[in-house]
Amino acid sequence: MSAPTTNIPVAIPAGASSGAPAGQAPRTIAGSLSGGIPGARGVASRLLHGTPGRMRLFGLLGVLAAVLLGAISVNALLASQSAVERAANNSAQVVRNQSIHVDLLRADAVATNAFLVGGLESPESRASYESAMGRVASGIAEAAAAQPADGNALGVLAQRVQTYAALVEQARSNNRLGLPVGAQYLTQASAGLRADAIPIVTQVVKANEDRAKKEFDRSNSSLQLLVGLVSLIGLVALAVWLAKRTHRYLNPSLTGAIALLLVALFVTATVITGVGSAARDVSNGNYQRAVALANVTTAANDARANESLTLIRRGSGASNEQAWVADSKTVDATLATLNDSATLQDQWADYVDAHVKVRSLDSGGHWDDAVKLSTSTADGGAAKTFGTFDVSVTQSRDSAGKATVTTLETLGGTAPLIAVVVALAALVASWLIIRGVGQRIEEYR
Amino acid sequence: MTTMLSTLRRRLSVLVTVAGLSALAGCSGVTYAETQLPTTPAPKPSSSAPAVPAPTCTNATQSYDPLPSLPSRGDITDASMRRIISKGFITVGVSADTYLFGARNAFTGGIEGFDIDMARAVAKAIFGDPNKVQLRVITAGDRIPLLKDPDRPIDMVARNMSMTCGRWNDIGFSAEYYRSGQKVLVSKALPGAKDLGLADLKGKRVCAPTGTTSLTKLQEVKGPVVVTAGTHTGCLVLLQQGKADAITGDDTVLAGLAAQDPNTVITSAKAITVEPYGLGLNKADVYLARYVNRVIADLESDGEWKTIYNRWLAGPLGPAPAPPTPVYGR
Repeated sequence: MSAPTTNIPVAIPAGASSGAPAGQAPRTIAGSLSGGIPGARGVASRLLHGTPGRMRLFGLLGVLAAVLLGAISVNALLASQSAVERAANNSAQVVRNQSIHVDLLRADAVATNAFLVGGLESPESRASYESAMGRVASGIAEAAAAQPADGNALGVLAQRVQTYAALVEQARSNNRLGLPVGAQYLTQASAGLRADAIPIVTQVVKANEDRAKKEFDRSNSSLQLLVGLVSLIGLVALAVWLAKRTHRYLNPSLTGAIALLLVALFVTATVITGVGSAARDVSNGNYQRAVALANVTTAANDARANESLTLIRRGSGASNEQAWVADSKTVDATLATLNDSATLQDQWADYVDAHVKVRSLDSGGHWDDAVKLSTSTADGGAAKTFGTFDVSVTQSRDSAGKATVTTLETLGGTAPLIAVVVALAALVASWLIIRGVGQRIEEYR
Repeated sequence: MTTMLSTLRRRLSVLVTVAGLSALAGCSGVTYAETQLPTTPAPKPSSSAPAVPAPTCTNATQSYDPLPSLPSRGDITDASMRRIISKGFITVGVSADTYLFGARNAFTGGIEGFDIDMARAVAKAIFGDPNKVQLRVITAGDRIPLLKDPDRPIDMVARNMSMTCGRWNDIGFSAEYYRSGQKVLVSKALPGAKDLGLADLKGKRVCAPTGTTSLTKLQEVKGPVVVTAGTHTGCLVLLQQGKADAITGDDTVLAGLAAQDPNTVITSAKAITVEPYGLGLNKADVYLARYVNRVIADLESDGEWKTIYNRWLAGPLGPAPAPPTPVYGR
């Protein structure tokens, strides 16, 4: 403990010698000081000698306790607030990367579907592919800027996406020349996308989900306040000790300090618990909904691409159809867990109906009709029913994602202000403790 | 005493400020571990171990006797054929990327070529309609497993399939309907590209599709580094991406590849094998084989075979030669 050393100047016997009458303990200290310093240890032991010395020591400990309580409260408040802020950032990053995931699959579904139809792709499908890839490119840049820890992974992802886009372009140019090698490039592009690029996005999403979860947990840092509680008990013990020593039961300053600190601790605890439970509500509410809807969107778009690939592979697409079934199960199961998902469930069921028809046409030997139905934008066509579902599920996801981030951003807003007030209260309490203990020392002489 | 108190207070306020600052520093001090990349298992090196030596025999092209004449649909009692008839179409395993033999037409999306016309001819004989055929796109490696599958996912394979003694152990074949030979296609960038044979390609990466006789032959030749892909077109992609220097396969298939890339050339080296193409069938479907042999014999005798040949192959290979002589009596 370095306290004795810090005490040397505190003693400031100059003040004591000027006002205090001679013959008391302080004067001896003054005398020893003026007569040359025999060593810090000696001064300290004399300063802390006897009952006044103990009062001084305990008073100092009381001040430290008050300061500790203040510091802990301020720290807990600010920690809660910044944890919520980081939870908001991490949630936004999850949503951002899920969008990249969906757009990659969307682009692939469009590209494979354009091949399915044969002939030159329509300007609409080209535009739709390009806008999806454009969103992927800007999404990767935004995501890398938002979370430096994802930078390396996203860099590799950008490379893989570039490879994918290059292969699709090679497929297109060969296709324009009517060369079958074009289809081979497309197959390679799709396979590479799923094998090399998608796992990275999934990994980044998972990492940010973990980070968001940790921050949601951290947003309730009320455990720290236990230390504050211990400080408060220490102060009460000081008051009791002082009362016993001096036979004066009420010390207004000290009692005021304890009351003030009690209020500060209580306010801090209330604010933190409030922020924590509000954050938990968001985490179990909108955030979970956004994540679930994003998973639905991803699975749905993967299913759609697999429908095209099953047709493109003409009878050898059994594995793609299995992937479709797995995706469809994910969509159904996830939607079932969400509130207000009846419309989405109906829209998905419409698409499933269309898909089942496509499959039965194809396995019945009517490949051409199957392709027509799969790419049909007329009512009941697979392209139409899927498009309807895709648009509404994306809208729901976006609104849930936005709600998550905006709610979280406003949650911890008042915490810094309260932290300042609590810090001031701790300072005032420290002053009160010094005053209260000082008063008793004075009286003791 | 007041001075002492005020000094004490000053000290304390400094202390509190320091504590507050360190608390702030504690808040902003969260750093995240870098996001890990997913670990991918290292790709297995493509097995370049030589295949089991192919069994030899003298009657690889010998198939079953054709039916004397095509029976009408109602008269057929054979179980396998009845299944096809009641299904309403014949399911044929084909290639979608063997240009000229079985390839997807990029403009119409349909699959077309010499092999497809053979499949359609069989459908026409059974159902009177060449469109009663379900084309199932398969890779070379899929051919035998799918034909052997007891669930009968396909009834027939029309996918430039060489008749070999080894394959006769697993499946049945129709009579020979086309004769090809294994050649080499190289990138024009190689020195003396035009005359290179397989044995000259020491240390060069040569690609052949898995599950083909071309690959077996390639593995027997010492010198080239073997590279594999799912299909011949997959090999072309590897060549265009600089991951292979040459492709070996049947001259007909290579003609289709060369037509897609002017930077490649089929070398003048003589064909190193004779590749008799037959339609692949399930080993038990002897009656179907005899039926199909009748269809092929009729195609050859009425000039339809030559018409089909000229439609697809006259351009790159010249006008139709005489059809291969079928061997029967198995």
